[in-house]
Formats: sequence, C-alpha cells, structure tokens
Amino acid sequence: MAMKLIHIAFRNIRRNLRRSILSGTAIAVAAMSIVFLFALVQGMRDDMAGNLATYYTGEVRIRNQSYEEYERYNPVHLTVNWPQIDKTLSSMEGITDYVPRIQFASSFYINGGNHPAVGIGADFAREASFQDLEAVVKEGRIPRAGENEMLIGAVLARDLHIDIGDRITIMSTTATRGSNAITLEVVGLAAFPVGALNSQFFWAPLDRVQYFLRMDNEVQQVLVTVENDERETADLIKDRLEQAGGEPLEVQAYNDISMMYGFLEIAQYIYYVIGIFFLVLGSTVIINTTMMVIYERMREIGTMQALGMHGNELTRLFFLEGAIISAIGAFVGVLIGTIMIVYLGQVGLDFTDALSGIDMEISSVLYPKFNIWTTIIVYIYSVGVSAATTLIPSRRASKIEPVEALRYV
Amino acid sequence: MYKCVIAMLFVTLIVMPLSAMTAQQIVQAMDELETFEQSYSEGQIITTDRFGEKKSTFRAWSQGTHDSLIEFTSVAERGQKILRTSGQLYLFYPDAEELIRLQGAALRQGMLGSDISYEDMTGERDTLSDYTAELLDTEQVQGKSCYVIKLTAKTRTVAYPIQKLWVDTETFMVWKGEFSTQSGRLLKEMEVLQTMTVDGRTLAQITRISDKMKRDSATEMHIDLLDLSVDLDPTIFTLQNLTW
Repeated sequence: MAMKLIHIAFRNIRRNLRRSILSGTAIAVAAMSIVFLFALVQGMRDDMAGNLATYYTGEVRIRNQSYEEYERYNPVHLTVNWPQIDKTLSSMEGITDYVPRIQFASSFYINGGNHPAVGIGADFAREASFQDLEAVVKEGRIPRAGENEMLIGAVLARDLHIDIGDRITIMSTTATRGSNAITLEVVGLAAFPVGALNSQFFWAPLDRVQYFLRMDNEVQQVLVTVENDERETADLIKDRLEQAGGEPLEVQAYNDISMMYGFLEIAQYIYYVIGIFFLVLGSTVIINTTMMVIYERMREIGTMQALGMHGNELTRLFFLEGAIISAIGAFVGVLIGTIMIVYLGQVGLDFTDALSGIDMEISSVLYPKFNIWTTIIVYIYSVGVSAATTLIPSRRASKIEPVEALRYV
Repeated sequence: MYKCVIAMLFVTLIVMPLSAMTAQQIVQAMDELETFEQSYSEGQIITTDRFGEKKSTFRAWSQGTHDSLIEFTSVAERGQKILRTSGQLYLFYPDAEELIRLQGAALRQGMLGSDISYEDMTGERDTLSDYTAELLDTEQVQGKSCYVIKLTAKTRTVAYPIQKLWVDTETFMVWKGEFSTQSGRLLKEMEVLQTMTVDGRTLAQITRISDKMKRDSATEMHIDLLDLSVDLDPTIFTLQNLTW
C-alpha cells in the first residue's frame, strides 16, 4: 500500500509539473539561502579568528592587568616584563609560538600637520614564524632591527602621499608619560587583508620603538598561539606567570577579548532561528499549492474515498507529495548553495568598499566556508520543516466527506 | 570753607595713588614683573595624576616678552627643547630630523603630560593686547591684599577667553588665577604656593596648576634657580640654534 501511495504521489507531482516546480523552487531558494548564509557566517568567524590571532591579540594575549581599565587614556606606561614572560613561556608546553608587540597611538608630522596613525613595534625575526609578513609586503621590504625604519599600510601611505624612501617624523606619548618624536624611513608598503591595518597602521622594529617610547626591555603585550583550548591555556599561562612573580597580568583568550567575535558567535545561533523562518516562508508556497490541488481534485478524492481509501491514507498521500517536492527542492537548493560556496570560497566576496572606514577585524575579502555537516543538517532541516507544513492541508483532505466531494464539478 | 576744600583736595591727592590704580595699570605692572630683559632659570615640573607622580627637570632662557627657550634635562626627555619666537612655537626632539611647529589646538596640549599647556609655559606677556581688563574687587589671598582682575579676551585665538586673577596690591605678583571659557566653564586653576625674591622682585617659586578637564590631576612647577643678570647670546632664540 505504501508503495502504491508513493507511486500515486509521484504521478500527481508529474500531473501538474509547473505547480510542483514552483513549490520546489520556493524550498530550493530557502535552502540555498540558508546554506550560503551559514557558510558566510562561518567564513566570517574563521576569518576574524585568524586576523585576531595573527594581528591583534594572538590566541592568548598577555597584558598589564590595569591596561584595559585605562585604555582610553593611551597608557603606554602600563607594560609587561618581556624577558620574564619570554623565560616562562619558553619553558611551557602547549604553546606553539609567541611574539612581543607594542601597539601605540601616534601622529605623523607631515607638512606642518598632524595625521593620526597606530604604530606597532614588532620583533620581525620572531614574527617570521608567527605570521607571513613577507606575503603582505606589496612593495619594498620588512624593516630591519636596530634601524629607524617602518613598514606602512598601503592605504595610509596613499592617503598621506607617502612613498618608499620618504622619511616621516612620528610623535607619541612615551612610557614615562612625556612626549617624543622620531624620524623613520619608509622601507615597505603592506597590503594587509584587514582594511583598518592598511589605513591606520605602521610597523617598526621593536627595539627602536622601545627606545622611542622609553620602554627599556618592556613591551605592551605578548601574543601567544596555543595547541589546545585557548581559554584553558590562558588560565595555565596566568598561573605560571603569577608563580614567576612580577606585575599583575591580564591573560585572555581571543574569543573573550573581541566583542565583535562574541557577536558573531551569538549571530550564528540567531541565524539558525532566521533559517526556520526562511523555510516556513518557503513552505507557505507548498501549503498553498497543496490546498489548491485538494480543491481541484475534490471529485477524485471523493471517488477514492468511495472506493475504500481511508482519511489517513489520503493525508499520507498528500503529505508524501509535499515531502517529495520538499526533498527534491531542498536537494537542488543545497546543491546550488554548495556550488556557490565552493566557487566563492575560491574567488571570495569583495567587501572593500562596504568595510572601508569601519574599524573591524574582518578582512575586506571574505571567503564562505563549506562545512559538510552544516550542509547535511540544513538539508534534513529543510525537508523536515517543509514536509511538516504540508500536514496542514493534507489533514484537510482527510476530513472531506465522499458525498460532499462527489458533488464538486 | 576755603580751608575745608584745601583739606579735601590734600586728602584726595594722598589717597588717590593707592586706590585709583586702573585695571590696565595693574595688568601692566603684573606683566612687567614677569618680563625680564634676559633671564636664565632652572626648575622642575612635578605632575601628579591617577598614575602617580612624574618629575621632569628643565632649564630655560628668556628675552623680553617674545623669546623663550626651554630645554628638558631629566633622563626621559633629555635634549628636548621648546622655542617660542616671532609668535611661533617649535619643538625639537633629538631623534626627529625636523622641527615640529605647534599650532592651533596642539598648543593647548599638556606639556609632557602635565597640566601646563605649551601655551601656558611659553605664553607671551603682553596681556593687554589680547584682553580687556576690569577691576572687580580687592580680596585677601594667603594673607595678602589682592586686586581681583577679570580679563576678557578680545580675540578668539587665546587659550582662555576669561581669566580671573588675584594680583598682589604691593608686589603685583599673581597669587591665584582661574581660567575659563566664554560661558564661564572653569578650565584651569593656578595658585602660588611659595614665593622668592630676586633682584627686588617677588616672584612665584612654587606654582600649582590644575587642569579641570583632567580628573585627579595637578602639576607643581618649582623654580630652583632664577638669574636675571645673565648676558645671553640672542642667537639662542633662533631655529638654527635649536637644531645644533
């Protein structure tokens, strides 16, 4: 009997193919959108995590405990003891890499005017294993330790009409809470994936920045990459550094630092809910089509009931029709979505204009991330929700009286 | 009757010089007290804020009302100089290849993170060209009789549109000052904590300045040495000298 119902259901789908295609298309569009949306959010999350780990915070960041409290005052003097941290981290397991950095607010003095810029003091020898800085150098080279040189974001250089070989005087507040200025030669232009890094940042050798900011052997932060869970390792590092003594430190995992990353994590759950609404919306087309089919085939329903077909069998028949259309529609939608993800995952989606001027740790070009499990879940989810909604009109069919149905013309 | 008129005129002539000094005359006397033909001084700036205490030492040269040069001698700022000449203010940093000319809002920044702005430190002493003066009252400050002078800016280019100064009636030294916006919002307060006498002039030795835009912040400027009998080479106030 079940086989017969499936056979009848397929026959009915074919009988009104255009209507079936319309219903299936609605489900396909909904499924495709959800698959793509999830892949884009996943891509954004991964991209942000990568950028945070590489450029901003590492997977775990070590800073002076008071820094966050006074961050708005540019507290350059709230530093950490780099030699001591280096010694402790080098003896710890579960740490992949770590680099010292000094990030400081500054201004470029050009033609009598001040232009804000953010400086990063970095140990370029250590950075070589931490990030592929060579790959982002568009022109010129990476600054050398001990030299008054800088690598500057290409957009910042373009905006201020700076070129390689130019000597720029930068001013900043020092760790002694005074002010200082130093002239650095531009030796490289960098094109970072993150817009803000291109338009606001410049990089200089750590030793020169320490001298300029009167920091001795201190640094502002240490960025760490870890083997296992970031939060657990952060706690472990904090314990070990506290045992070693020194100033109180703030040791945090990147996913606890960035507010935007936290939003993205929440957004993923919100998108799951939005996905249900997408599918319910798509399913209204199926409900509508099935209702119309029921009214159109009223005489046929009456005949089938007169020949002995039960109400629940009629419900199953119409449910099967809806479920088959949903399954095919969802499959096509997920397939198209996957093809789009794979293609855009290679080519990328360019948001350079949309993100220009926005200080976010997200790359200008985003790559949707294909995830087989997410795709399978979206498919099951699409078929389930769409098929479930067809139960509403299908149950209507079972309640029709045969005598009443046979009177329909 | 005749005798009575003569007596009244006599009393008036005796009392007039004491009480009828105009606000302009008081401000002129105040400027003259603080203006030296040439001077050399050494001192320190002690700033206390939410992060603790910071001390910077300096030496300074001045000539007339328009030229002054300050050189910082404390380790963290050693070699940094501030030159004011021809109405312009220049900063020299030993590691910078060019002089930095401060202008506009930059002049109002705190010098070395203190409550003293660059403009406060090197401000020209020709008050009446920028302000109109009004004598409000006389009050006692630290046991001294003071004229209370209100200065209202004539132009929009000055740092403080309204100044209220308590000027010693005898020495013309400013014991206290309140510096406000046009609407009366207090920007800065100044108070002399200790005085010194140099060449017959009573001058501020320790001055406390508090920027009301900063919370829990105050700066004391100590003058440890002041020599008014120096013979300075005028070229020390030139840009060429600054870069040597």
